[in-house]
Amino acid sequence: MKKREAFGSWLVLAAAAISVATMLVPGAVEARNIKVGIIDTYSGPAAVFGNDALNGFKMALEEINKQGVLGGKIEIVTRDDKFKVDIALNMAKELVLKENVDLLVGTVNSGVSLAVSDAVAKKEKIPFITWMGKSENITGKNGHRYVFSVTENTAMAGKAAANVLSKKPYKKYWVAGDDYEYGHALDESLWRYLKQAKPDVEVIGKTWWKLGEPDLIPYFTSIQAANPDAIHFCTGGASMANVLKTIKTTGISQKIPVYIHTAIDYAVLKPLGAEAPEGVMGTMDYLFYYPELSMNQKFVKEFQARFGVPPGFPAFHAYTTAHFIAEAYRQAGKIDTEKFIDALEGLKVDSPVGKVEMRACDHQAIFPILFGTTKISKEYGFAVATDIMTLRGVEVMPACGEIEAARKGQ
Amino acid sequence: MEQSITLAGVTSQLLVGLSRAMILFIVSSGLSFILGVLRVPNVAHGSLYMIGAFVAHSVATAVGGVSGFWLALVLAPLTVAVISLIAERTLFCHLYEREHLMLLLFTFALMLILGDLTKITWGADYRSLTAPPFLQGSLSVLGTAFPRYNLFLLVVGPVVAVGLWLLTSKTMFGKIARAAAVDREMVGAIGVNVSWVFALAFVLGCLLAGLGGALVSPTVSITLGMDHTIIIETFLIVTIGGLGNIWGAMVGSLIFGITQSIGVLILPQFAIVFPYLAVVVILTLKPTGLLKSVW
Repeated sequence: MKKREAFGSWLVLAAAAISVATMLVPGAVEARNIKVGIIDTYSGPAAVFGNDALNGFKMALEEINKQGVLGGKIEIVTRDDKFKVDIALNMAKELVLKENVDLLVGTVNSGVSLAVSDAVAKKEKIPFITWMGKSENITGKNGHRYVFSVTENTAMAGKAAANVLSKKPYKKYWVAGDDYEYGHALDESLWRYLKQAKPDVEVIGKTWWKLGEPDLIPYFTSIQAANPDAIHFCTGGASMANVLKTIKTTGISQKIPVYIHTAIDYAVLKPLGAEAPEGVMGTMDYLFYYPELSMNQKFVKEFQARFGVPPGFPAFHAYTTAHFIAEAYRQAGKIDTEKFIDALEGLKVDSPVGKVEMRACDHQAIFPILFGTTKISKEYGFAVATDIMTLRGVEVMPACGEIEAARKGQ
Repeated sequence: MEQSITLAGVTSQLLVGLSRAMILFIVSSGLSFILGVLRVPNVAHGSLYMIGAFVAHSVATAVGGVSGFWLALVLAPLTVAVISLIAERTLFCHLYEREHLMLLLFTFALMLILGDLTKITWGADYRSLTAPPFLQGSLSVLGTAFPRYNLFLLVVGPVVAVGLWLLTSKTMFGKIARAAAVDREMVGAIGVNVSWVFALAFVLGCLLAGLGGALVSPTVSITLGMDHTIIIETFLIVTIGGLGNIWGAMVGSLIFGITQSIGVLILPQFAIVFPYLAVVVILTLKPTGLLKSVW
């Protein structure tokens, strides 16, 4: 017993020594490092996205830190939110209060992004940049001074798709998807803009299945029996694979045109290999093989050399986020939250797909949206998007006035 | 948003429901067989179904092509059979005399372990297996499209059912297994090695779980967590059909599969509720299940 107590006090002493030592270190250098707290999902099925983003962020930081920012470097602290809102909030608070991070970034779960934005960023006045939270509410009606988005959102996807689909001859739509926030958000945003662009469209039926429903065939056969002009599937993540697979099994897309946001995502199509359905229409804000700009090719080549796989949209978003952070601090001239935010508003940075602007009125990065159709590629061995149309960011974003009205209503 | 219910729509939903019932039958008949002969409520049965699907995917992708698919349908159940034989000889055979609650806890633990082993072996990513080209796409049945693969399931299901019936009622093993289900001490007393009868019965039940997993894999994405869904469904099926009764498993599966697919036609958003409603109604009217329970 005695021995154990002695050992315990040694531990306390050691811990004290370490904490004194770490407290001394920052004082030793004049310019301090900028500390970025990353909250994202690193376990479970969504970890694929979290890790891809982290890789993109790290790669950008290596380039940035060679030059340094305000005489220091950008360092990171990561926390796994396990895709859960309550865990993420605890982590975010811990990062702000104990780790003293200068800003927060993340998260693949839109619900987490909204919660961190409301409960931590707004309250503690700490900037939070979402790089994957796709809910339009983050920078829409729930937006505020301390939250930024460097990802496309459901409103942009909806408006872009409405733009293309309204020019097609489809009138009778069937809506089907995962019965949860993201699924319904996709439905609402596309319908809002589609109805505006083409008032004579109608929804002849809706099918919502439980998130994670393993066998979708009964749902598909009942949709097929109703014979709509087109189907809008509202799904994403792991459920997307199941939907695409059932499209292939039932051959539904050969008879009825199908649109799904992110159906042309490489992360979704690659695991399906040559067995992905062809002819599915989808939207995306980043494809590593398109546009064929030298900047993008350089980014893809470096990423592939380092991590063995091409970058997905999370890596692209995170890479761009890192450049936004570095550039905003450089322009702010010192590590100061309010000056950082002022600098970030309206800032333009270079990204693999060209200049990206952070719109000042709603803190939403302006990304172009790509609309394409799936086709198996012999070169890659999996399906890629073809017949790609690029819709300019400003064309597919809700106007600043709309955002202002939405925020006032809140 | 009412969808007009047409004859063609009802037919295609009935057929889809029937084909879904075939998968449910293959898995739940295995569960029921183990319940009947060994009196073990094997919660890990769903895990073996999941492992069957993962093995089928690995085999099909390693071999490739049409032959890969057929080989997967053979090797996946056999792999699961080997795993279950090891589990039976090392763990289960010592536990048959325990009370049901203990067995339930033990098999639940085994489910968690197998779930994690699956994650370690195959990772957390979802996988996808595609049926050979001639089983892809849809056929026209009464004016509506019906997936070819589901037609294939409608053929396989009855074949398995008849095979199982022949095995349990016409062979020596089947007769001994059924006798052991009724009175295991008596069977032991006449000189039958009950321990090995039990092992074989257990392996046969698990083989069916593996076969179900392999057969279902072209229609769903193969993911962790598919064990949970199936085990709840199959336990309910076995309960409404009559514990340990293989034909009860068939009746239960048909009720489960068809109520769900017809539910999709009537109220898609609440389709998941219909089979459970059927379970509630049946258990209220006939708590022992529709057919004779061997318990």
